[in-house]
Amino acid sequence: MNLLTRSSINYIFFSVVAFIIGGIIFFHVVKTVFYRQIDETLKTEKLLIEQQIDFSDTLPDFRQVFSHMIEVTVFNSPKKKFEFIKDTALYDKSLDQLLPVRQLICENTSIQDQGYIISISKPLAETKQMIRTIVGALVLLFISLTGLLIFVNYFISKSIWVPFNKTLENLRNFNISKDASLTLTETKITEFRQLNRTLDRMAKKMQRDYINLKEFNENASHEIQTPLAIIKSKLELLIQGEELNEEQMGMINSVYEATTRMSKLNQGLLLISKIDNNQFHLTEQVNLLKIMEKTLEHFEEIISLKKIRIIHHYHAPACPQMNPALAEILVSNLVSNAIRHNIEEGEIRITMDANGFEIANTGHPVTIPPEELFRRFRKSDRTTDSVGLGLAIVKKIVQLYQFDIQYEVKENFHRLKLNIPRGE
Amino acid sequence: MKILLIEDEKELSSAIQSYLTKGNYLCETALTYQSGMEKIDLYQYDCVIVDITLPDGNGLNIIRELKEEHIETGIIIISAKNSLDDKIVGLDIGADDYLTKPFHLSELNARIKSIIRRRNFGGTNEIVLNEIRIIPEQMQVFINDKETILTKKEFDLLMFFLSNKNRVLTKESIAEHLWGEEIDMADSYDFIYTHIKNLRKKMLENEGHDYIQTIYGMGYKFLTT
Repeated sequence: MNLLTRSSINYIFFSVVAFIIGGIIFFHVVKTVFYRQIDETLKTEKLLIEQQIDFSDTLPDFRQVFSHMIEVTVFNSPKKKFEFIKDTALYDKSLDQLLPVRQLICENTSIQDQGYIISISKPLAETKQMIRTIVGALVLLFISLTGLLIFVNYFISKSIWVPFNKTLENLRNFNISKDASLTLTETKITEFRQLNRTLDRMAKKMQRDYINLKEFNENASHEIQTPLAIIKSKLELLIQGEELNEEQMGMINSVYEATTRMSKLNQGLLLISKIDNNQFHLTEQVNLLKIMEKTLEHFEEIISLKKIRIIHHYHAPACPQMNPALAEILVSNLVSNAIRHNIEEGEIRITMDANGFEIANTGHPVTIPPEELFRRFRKSDRTTDSVGLGLAIVKKIVQLYQFDIQYEVKENFHRLKLNIPRGE
Repeated sequence: MKILLIEDEKELSSAIQSYLTKGNYLCETALTYQSGMEKIDLYQYDCVIVDITLPDGNGLNIIRELKEEHIETGIIIISAKNSLDDKIVGLDIGADDYLTKPFHLSELNARIKSIIRRRNFGGTNEIVLNEIRIIPEQMQVFINDKETILTKKEFDLLMFFLSNKNRVLTKESIAEHLWGEEIDMADSYDFIYTHIKNLRKKMLENEGHDYIQTIYGMGYKFLTT
């Protein structure tokens, strides 16, 4: 639910509540006013009748009083004096139905000691009609007013939130790993200006930190290469010595292996930071099918030695725009991954079409969630001698070109699916 | 064979020099851009190994200079910066090969051998070692004049051994030589064993010598003495 819908719904809700309460009160007020007026009329008429009775001991001529039903009953004995007004209904013969009336009934004794009951009834149909019309008109007025207000509110809000939405949009498009800084549009509204200023400061700091970190990573990796090269070459010289015994050879071997691992690790990290630093600007249309075939040929012996069966379905070559070196690394890492984590006499299934490819391989069940394997140094515990950067590098390349990669394990089949969005 | 090594890291330079000297090369070293430039102006080398990130100058200029003065000299770039641009530029202006630090000395040695071979004989040379005769360009191997069919990897392996005769070659250096240095494939060590077994078998089938010695845990040695 967005801000505008939310505020509109609130607006409507409170308007309706206010309207219902207001409407009820209004209805009663109008009714009371009308009834009071009717009652006044009834009382006046009663007074007139009484006066005439007292004054001349005659009854007025009711024929002139239109639409009033007046009945005067005269008794010889005196009556108690009382008077009340009530709502009731009278039967109308001509219409053959009950008609709502306001009725005044008054008992009294005249000067001549004669008791009488005056009953004056005033039909309410007209009054009710009038109340209904007034209330109806008011409801109509209110509804159109509310509608108009909501409409106006919607447009005002919409224009007020424009800078906010712009900021949001800019934030969404902001990518810390891209060089472009966060550009926020100027606005006159203080709150939004403060928001923009804060965001701007944060983004600048983030970007600075990010660049520093990237530079540090790359420099550190570079600087490590030279000492590693020295260690490695000295060890290589050392093992040429004839007089080494087996124990010494074993120790040197451990050091040598550790050094090799470290240099592999370092190269992997360097590659990642290079991808991060966007140092692979050169892009061209690469044919992943050709690279796939080349890679499989490259690993041919390892595949056959491990007795792995390759089943491939190439429907169409995938030809994304990317750096050719990275394309090779991407395919090679995925293929070598499928080989390394495979079992003896296992299987690798490769399918490719214009939208990407999928590599599925038999293997051991993974101990950690498959998505985790894309993180640096995360590996399922079996092959501890790999450095655990292969998939992290794959992920980096995939992110760089906004491809999509998914890893799932189903029935002991590890499936890595690369999706290349088309129409670039 | 005269080689010039231009490398500012003293320890690395001395290690390379020592390895190459044992392979009957005459290896001179220069620790700075300046002295490297002076040496290539004064002397003639078969191969120059140059680090392109020198403290007092860009190694790429040395390559340019070399290409102008001594067109026949082989050039290998060694660099800690595994930068694709440097590699492309370097190879573009005339370097023959590019190695990223840290590298195996045996790999460097093999690359030097290969460059010198290509330059000296114009591509029609043969390598002869006792009963083994190799025509590298055709990837043909003859043992006792009988042609022995090797797979590409077995051939590469044999060439790598021949470039580093009587040296201990580590499993890692062999793996990287065969599968490339980007390959993070620890399993490949097991496969080296299989390749070596096959290579040995093929050589023995044609009554060749068994030259390959296993250095326990470490690697292999191609023993000719």
